[in-house]
Amino acid sequence: MKLLVIEDQKELSDNIQVYLENEGYICEVVASISKASEKLYGYSYDLILLDLMLPDGDGLDLLQTIKSNWPELGILIISAKNALDDKIAGLNMGADDYLAKPFHLAELNARLKAIYRRKQQMGEDLISFENISMNMDTYEVRVNDETIELTRKEFDLLHYFIVNKNRLLTKQAIAEHLWGDFMDSADSFDFVYQHIKNLRRKIVNAGGMDVIHTVYGTGYKLKA
Amino acid sequence: MNLVTRFTILFILVSLMVFLVGGVITFQVMKREIDAEQQRFLLERLNRIVHMIDRRDIKDDMIREKFQIRILDRISEESEVAFSDTLVMHNTLERLEPHLKLDVIRTINNRSYAITIYDVIVETDDINDVVIESLVKTFLILLVAFAGLGLVVSFYQLRPFRQTLQIIRSFTISGKDPPVFPKTSIREFRKLNAFLDEMTMKVQKDYHALKEFSENASHELQTPLAIIQSKLDVLIQEEGLNEKQLKLIESAQLTARRLSSLSSSLSLLTKIENHEFSKKEKIDFTTVVYQVLDEFSELLSLKGIHYTVENVSSPTIEVDPVLIQIMITNLLNNAIKHNLEKGSIHIKIDRKSATISNTGKALETDPNELFERFRKSNQSDTSLGLGLAIVKKICDLYGFKIKYSNKSEQHTLSLVFNGGQQ
Repeated sequence: MKLLVIEDQKELSDNIQVYLENEGYICEVVASISKASEKLYGYSYDLILLDLMLPDGDGLDLLQTIKSNWPELGILIISAKNALDDKIAGLNMGADDYLAKPFHLAELNARLKAIYRRKQQMGEDLISFENISMNMDTYEVRVNDETIELTRKEFDLLHYFIVNKNRLLTKQAIAEHLWGDFMDSADSFDFVYQHIKNLRRKIVNAGGMDVIHTVYGTGYKLKA
Repeated sequence: MNLVTRFTILFILVSLMVFLVGGVITFQVMKREIDAEQQRFLLERLNRIVHMIDRRDIKDDMIREKFQIRILDRISEESEVAFSDTLVMHNTLERLEPHLKLDVIRTINNRSYAITIYDVIVETDDINDVVIESLVKTFLILLVAFAGLGLVVSFYQLRPFRQTLQIIRSFTISGKDPPVFPKTSIREFRKLNAFLDEMTMKVQKDYHALKEFSENASHELQTPLAIIQSKLDVLIQEEGLNEKQLKLIESAQLTARRLSSLSSSLSLLTKIENHEFSKKEKIDFTTVVYQVLDEFSELLSLKGIHYTVENVSSPTIEVDPVLIQIMITNLLNNAIKHNLEKGSIHIKIDRKSATISNTGKALETDPNELFERFRKSNQSDTSLGLGLAIVKKICDLYGFKIKYSNKSEQHTLSLVFNGGQQ
């Protein structure tokens, strides 16, 4: 997965690069529209991470250029302007997703992988971890070839864990992934706990290993 | 009363005074002149009579219509000419008329004569009539002239002023272009326009600067928060962190998140205040309520809150779809957050109003301060205390009325649509 990060805040792009490279991405970082254009004309990428406010122009203009020259590229917009207009404009102009700053890197990873997966569209869309497999087209989840029934939230949760496997996911990051801004943090942690408890039970009942580990009551980690 | 009318009335009052005083002066001057003229006339006649006495050597008393000459018994000393008013029978008019009388004693050819001469005087009344008539007529002409002048002034001379008013009325603080005021040759209007020009320009500039600041402040805050967040994300993945360290990172992340929501909420409030949500669409209120309820359904079931919707009517309101969504979300969020375990929410939607009642602990804050910023039922609460402030702002924007009331553990927020109501 080749990713071009277009972000002028070096501190942020460094962290994104470190995190995503650990996830197996090949990351290149540029800080301006002109540098981004150079890279885009010279090399090929699978995904673009585009900040809307750049020192030499509006990210939306670059988005237009990318969509007309490389329509197959997956684009995720990140913006500090939590303006709905920007979000709608970005999505209308062909961006695949929009993430408002600040965000969890696990969330960024999950969104990028979802875009990548949608763009690939070859054969069956399967995601797996150990003996658990998820079919992203049919929403079927199998543990040791046995189908288990998950609610939508449990499915989302399992997917989030698998794309961020071996990572510590805090309760907060999970709550934000599942509910966005709707949930109050005070309530959400209990609900995260309940969902995880149910998910674990379903996997273990189907004969799977208990792969979701609690980390000191702060969060959870999916690991073999 | 408009300015021109007021000026005209003042002018008329002042000229009325001037005319009154002027009338008195005119009257007195005229009377003085006429009296002097009459006395001169009588004196001339006296000269003629004296001349006649001298020539004809009159030896008997002589009484004519306009004079009497009596011969005195002995030679008397000549007297000064004395004038007095008297009433004398007027021959043609056959009534007593005021006359001016001249009395004098003259010694001519060694005989003394008492000479009295009369003449009908121009009466005070007549002078009065003349003065009043001429002044009243002049005054009437002046009135007509003033009225005409008033019309001309208000139509032509005050036109730049009216144009300025029109421009000020259509002035919007959020507009980009400063208003252009008409050119005028009147110094006061020029001054006014110059002042307004400067003021509107400054106001617009300040407004845009403030708006830009509020928006930038939010943006500028989110970027460093994103950096903090990502650094904590990287840090928390480090191997070998102990529980204490993890808790510290978690807590820092939560705080960064709160700061970020705080900044977004304040930016939203600013945007509402700045009338940036100017889109107006006809929205079915009930539909939005059901949409938001659907989004909250999981939270409601997890908290075991039972809800009912009593849909008497479906009001259509003309509002910005984003704002109405935010408003209903905040109202429901509030009703859920402050609810009891296994509590209930009752929503009633009427043609012109809606109420959201929920069970919940008694309010700890003053109900009157409920809609103020940073009012929380509990200061240690992690909520921002901006939800209802935002609801209130949206209500203010559309002229809706919102009121809180409670009965024991039942809290009700009632909403009355007017402005946006169709």
